[in-house]
Amino acid sequence: MAQIALFGLIANRMVKEAVQIEAGGNYFHFYAAGIVITLLYSMAVFISYDIYEEADHGVIEYLLSLPISRRELVLGRAIGGGLRSFLYVAPLMLIVLLMIGITNPFRILIAFAALFLFAFGVSGMSITIAVSIKSHDRFDILLGALNAFIVRLSTTMYPVAFMPEQYATLAQFNPLTFAADIFRWGAGLEASLLANPFLSVLGILMFFSVFTFLGIIFYERQLEGGGWR
Amino acid sequence: MNRIKHLLEYDFRNFFRYKWWIAGMISMNLADLIIMAVVYTNMVSQEVSQKYLNYFLFFSPGITITALFAAAFMIGREINRELRREISHYLLSLPFSRWELAFGRVLSGGLRGMVYMAPLLITTIFITWVFTGNIPSVLGILIILTTLFLVSVGTSGLSITMSLSTRSFEKFVTARGVVYYILFFCSSVFYPLDFIQQLGREGTLPQFLVLIAEMNPLSSGADTTRAFLFGHPAYSPFMLLNVALFALIFVLTASFAYLKILQG
Repeated sequence: MAQIALFGLIANRMVKEAVQIEAGGNYFHFYAAGIVITLLYSMAVFISYDIYEEADHGVIEYLLSLPISRRELVLGRAIGGGLRSFLYVAPLMLIVLLMIGITNPFRILIAFAALFLFAFGVSGMSITIAVSIKSHDRFDILLGALNAFIVRLSTTMYPVAFMPEQYATLAQFNPLTFAADIFRWGAGLEASLLANPFLSVLGILMFFSVFTFLGIIFYERQLEGGGWR
Repeated sequence: MNRIKHLLEYDFRNFFRYKWWIAGMISMNLADLIIMAVVYTNMVSQEVSQKYLNYFLFFSPGITITALFAAAFMIGREINRELRREISHYLLSLPFSRWELAFGRVLSGGLRGMVYMAPLLITTIFITWVFTGNIPSVLGILIILTTLFLVSVGTSGLSITMSLSTRSFEKFVTARGVVYYILFFCSSVFYPLDFIQQLGREGTLPQFLVLIAEMNPLSSGADTTRAFLFGHPAYSPFMLLNVALFALIFVLTASFAYLKILQG
């Protein structure tokens, strides 16, 4: 909230008129919607820290003893990670939506569904990285670097038109860009969209499918024979 | 002094053990500089940034000060951990006086901030030299370093004071988040102070936020660096006085709080 209320408000006055136009008329709204997506991403990534903690405290053995299949366990973790991050971000999301003004509830529902898949995919990605790298320290380094670059190389904070060409090319394939686009579309900020909202949904679907699938395969493999230790 | 040297060594060894944290911070600072600063340079209106040539040059001293602040703040996390795991009992058994122990910890937190910040300050000076040809005088560099050291020691004191006020790590982390956001975003790190004051006069920003930004030690630290790099904002002794007061208050508060906790 402080970031939106302080940085967003002041940056809104600092930027050129062309930025306001590119941002759909109001950079503050554009920025606020983007921050919601960054927060959703940061929260969804957090699931893998729990996995490391479970491995440290021997909780994995308990989970394995439960009457559920390995696949259900992994899928459940990814859904849980996505859902809890969604719930965590919900109050801020609601405040931002009320601030921007809800124009089309149906669109918002579509955006929510896509964002849930996005959060689900981010949890899957985080689980995939966590179980591929067994060292907690290395995981922290990789995730810290990934977070720093993935957020800044997306359109969550700025319109693509003002990014240097190389950054803009990377931003177009960034899942955070897809998520920010679909949330802005849901909130009625169409003029700021990078691509057709259906392409964003497609991008999120692909991201979600790849990482959920990989997460399941890697986590399932690591669970067998004490491979997580 | 020799005994304080041992404490500094202990804290520096601990600092470099957090390789993952340092790597994450370096990535964040690099990403801020090479991505965020570059993009905002294309976005920020010339009226706001022209005194600094462009926003990139304005922002790089800001990144330096945020790095200094974050690194100096780390000591609080360690002291909070020592308190929870009762490692402070071990520290008490060492041949240090209580004052040496308390002051040494505050000092090492500040020095760690300076060590982490040094490459970023050199990069900032280099970038400014490449774009503008300006290099601060020796006196200018001494004033910058003194100011930043005072900010760093004060931050270390602030962090230790906060870490000693609760044994709960979660509460410490929450308080840290609030302090980070207020001090980072309500300062001249990201936007010029005269622009914040202008927004205050227009009624866009409440006056108390403008006052926080003016009194904020991060504003004084960033603006002192800018004053000697670009000549804008004009250097004022108030900047040094402000950070000296900040350092004095929090070094004393942290030392007393640490002594009290150790003796309790």
